[in-house]
Amino acid sequence: MTVRTSIFSPETIYFSNKNTQQQVFEDVYLDLLKKDLVTPDFLNNLLAREKKYPTGLSLAPIDASLPNIAIPHTESEFVKATRIVPIKLQAPLLFHNMINLDEELPVSFLFLILNQNGFEQTGLLAEIMDFINGTDRASLLEFFQYENTQEIYYFLEKNFKGEMSHD
Amino acid sequence: MIKILAACGAGVNSSHQIKAALETELAKRGYQVSCDAVMIKDINQEMLAKYDIFAQIANTDLGFPIEIPVVDAGAILYRIPAMAEPVYQQMEAAIHSLQKK
Repeated sequence: MTVRTSIFSPETIYFSNKNTQQQVFEDVYLDLLKKDLVTPDFLNNLLAREKKYPTGLSLAPIDASLPNIAIPHTESEFVKATRIVPIKLQAPLLFHNMINLDEELPVSFLFLILNQNGFEQTGLLAEIMDFINGTDRASLLEFFQYENTQEIYYFLEKNFKGEMSHD
Repeated sequence: MIKILAACGAGVNSSHQIKAALETELAKRGYQVSCDAVMIKDINQEMLAKYDIFAQIANTDLGFPIEIPVVDAGAILYRIPAMAEPVYQQMEAAIHSLQKK
């Protein structure tokens, strides 16, 4: 029997008012570690990977009014679950563009990808992009302005088509 | 069979999206291709020598000269056909340059 399970959890949606990538990642890491969703090595690996292989993504090619996003992630060995962790930044932080490494983008929303199963769950980034492409612009703009984790969760539950399955 | 290597930092999310897109679209266009997705840090000269084309997400310094055609495939990540089309066209040009179709 296949059970469909959401890729989001209301307990792992965050707001951050921190001023640096490192502070944001540290805050979220500490809570994910407490929830036993990542390993102790997760933070160092996440920081190192973001520095060397940045994950900022400009949404201007989709719609110039949309804020830029980033999709930080690590190798599977540092995570203990598969889910997407949304993080709303109260003030935009600079991330390098994953497609144009020399460009710095002001980013105000992160989709932190935890991928425990490696090659079995390779479509998470595609599902994030399908969510952004497939959601009407006015609703999406409103979503990126939400100030409440429950609002973010319910919006994603309603509009995000990607799900993972467990046998 | 054209062998393509796609790479990203973790070898999972971005590179696999590019692998899936290239294999699907290029097959539709009549090319026999297979694409592997790996972590950038795992690429060495010996590995790259086994491939015909390198599909990179961004300009990548591998620490050694790349002697096969390189195609910038990052636009595929947007999942917008109009943005991906130039990548497929560059890939077709690279395949033709190999004269292996």
